Amino acid sequence: MSAIHVENLSKVYRTRIKEEGLKASFKALFKPVYKEVQAVDDISFTVEQGEILAFIGPNGAGKSTTIKMLTGILHPTSGRISVLGLDPAEERKKLSYRIGTVFGQKSQLWFHLPPIDSFVLLGAIYDVDKKTLNKRISELTELFELGDILQTPVRKLSLGQRIRCEVAASLLHEPDILFLDEPTIGLDVVVKQSIRQLILRMNRERGTTIFLTSHDAGDVEQICKRAVVIDQGRIILDQPIKNLKYHYLNRKIIAVRFEYPQHLEVPEGVKLEKSTDISARLSVDTRICTIDSAMRWLIAQGGVADITVENPPMEEIIASIFRHKEGRIQ
Amino acid sequence: MKAFRKYWTILRISLQNAFVYRSNVLGGLVFFLIFMFVFFNLWRAIYQSGEVAGYSLVQMVWYLCMTELIMFGCRTGIFSQMNEDVKSGSIAYQLNRPYHYVWYQFFNALGGMVFNLLIYGLMAVIMAMIMVGPIPGFNFATLPLSLISMMLAMFINFFFLMALGLTAFRLEENTAFYLIYQKLVFMLGMFIPVEFLPGWLQAITRYLPFPYMTWAPARLIVAFSWELFWSVVPVQLLWFGLSVILSMAIYRHGVAGIQAHGG
Repeated sequence: MSAIHVENLSKVYRTRIKEEGLKASFKALFKPVYKEVQAVDDISFTVEQGEILAFIGPNGAGKSTTIKMLTGILHPTSGRISVLGLDPAEERKKLSYRIGTVFGQKSQLWFHLPPIDSFVLLGAIYDVDKKTLNKRISELTELFELGDILQTPVRKLSLGQRIRCEVAASLLHEPDILFLDEPTIGLDVVVKQSIRQLILRMNRERGTTIFLTSHDAGDVEQICKRAVVIDQGRIILDQPIKNLKYHYLNRKIIAVRFEYPQHLEVPEGVKLEKSTDISARLSVDTRICTIDSAMRWLIAQGGVADITVENPPMEEIIASIFRHKEGRIQ
Repeated sequence: MKAFRKYWTILRISLQNAFVYRSNVLGGLVFFLIFMFVFFNLWRAIYQSGEVAGYSLVQMVWYLCMTELIMFGCRTGIFSQMNEDVKSGSIAYQLNRPYHYVWYQFFNALGGMVFNLLIYGLMAVIMAMIMVGPIPGFNFATLPLSLISMMLAMFINFFFLMALGLTAFRLEENTAFYLIYQKLVFMLGMFIPVEFLPGWLQAITRYLPFPYMTWAPARLIVAFSWELFWSVVPVQLLWFGLSVILSMAIYRHGVAGIQAHGG
């Protein structure tokens, strides 16, 4: 049985338009004007049990709206959803015992209390008996290396520590599916990496199905086997991550600054996107030129003052997906 | 049994939180003190001698202390909290849990209410004792009965506030309801006893919930009578029930069409 099955799902938001000026405001009092926003537009997909699926797209693409519909918070405008065989909108409470959610930008922990108190509360809310709960807490403490921070008020934790607790908190009732909405947002590279490792382990050891949204290509590359790319409410790509990686995540951006003016003769696989006398922005095709050799070449030029390596932004990846599609049609 | 443990734990943790998060108490205490001091002087000026509409100065000051106590006791920020949760999208975490959202909010606020009642209660009694001294002929045996009425008053106020807060699920702007509600609570029982209102307004007020949030328990404290007790407590129970039903109905209507913002 599939864990999540979605058919022709759509969500339309109705928002009030406010025009400028006093007269318009007065008019709106009696005759409000509404604008319809199509947040999710006729999407269909299936997630198998034990799968890790990345749901990626730029901000405002409809990722969170989809998660909120899958977890029963928002009711769809049209279409069908089945999560673990349940209809989220109709059987929200029943479903809630079997799923966990983490919203990276929000907190489910009590800000002034240590995480352990929130864990006890969540345990009671999910009807986990005390013995099982204590066992779960000590398992998760070990897995997430929570140790001392369990007793520290949440307001005193770093973002990375807090997110680790947030993820642990949503696993206390051993959900079958874990929904992660931008879990790594705002974290530094090292913490991001450790959260990714944890998610992978959860999946391997417990077989937890993972549905992850992100606008960070790094999350996707490293932990997911399949990616669904969504843009303006529509699915534009649903492929194994291997394909995505080969076709669209094959570039890295290197920004470099020199101590003295340099003239660059770029090797094969490297494209000069922008440059001044003492700085350059390079796009590296990693299929042709590895990051390792690109860096060696740069250092060999001499006088490097600063270097950053980044993934291309999500918007660029999406643009190249569209270009690729059009190319195939022609 | 499971449900009991669930809601009891919510109450316990929220009480714990109230004790840890004390910074807003100090501001509240200062506000309470200033408010009482100003109105004490006002009433003293008005009361040159004797009684007004069945209240002596001592009773009037105690009355005000008690209605203030109820209002400060209910200061859990339920209305603004709900608005904020909907606008920031934090509501997403609270809705997909295996509990009834309305009862969750109630037990969550109850911790704060119990805490407020202890702190402000102590403050109210001390202030009234300093300003006017004890109520002549006060009978401690009837205090528990007055406290039951006071508890009901707080619950009624809480559930009406929650009902107003729940409109945020559907409406973008609902602060006006809150402001109107606050003024009505203030005028119809909190600031002045119902007996002071003109006859026609008294007649209308009897059919509104407002006096049962403030006047009823405060009057019981300053001038207890069994007749009064049996005439107000059943009405309080009725308003309590109605306010819960109203909250549930608005919740059910709201949650089906919630517009969760915040990405």
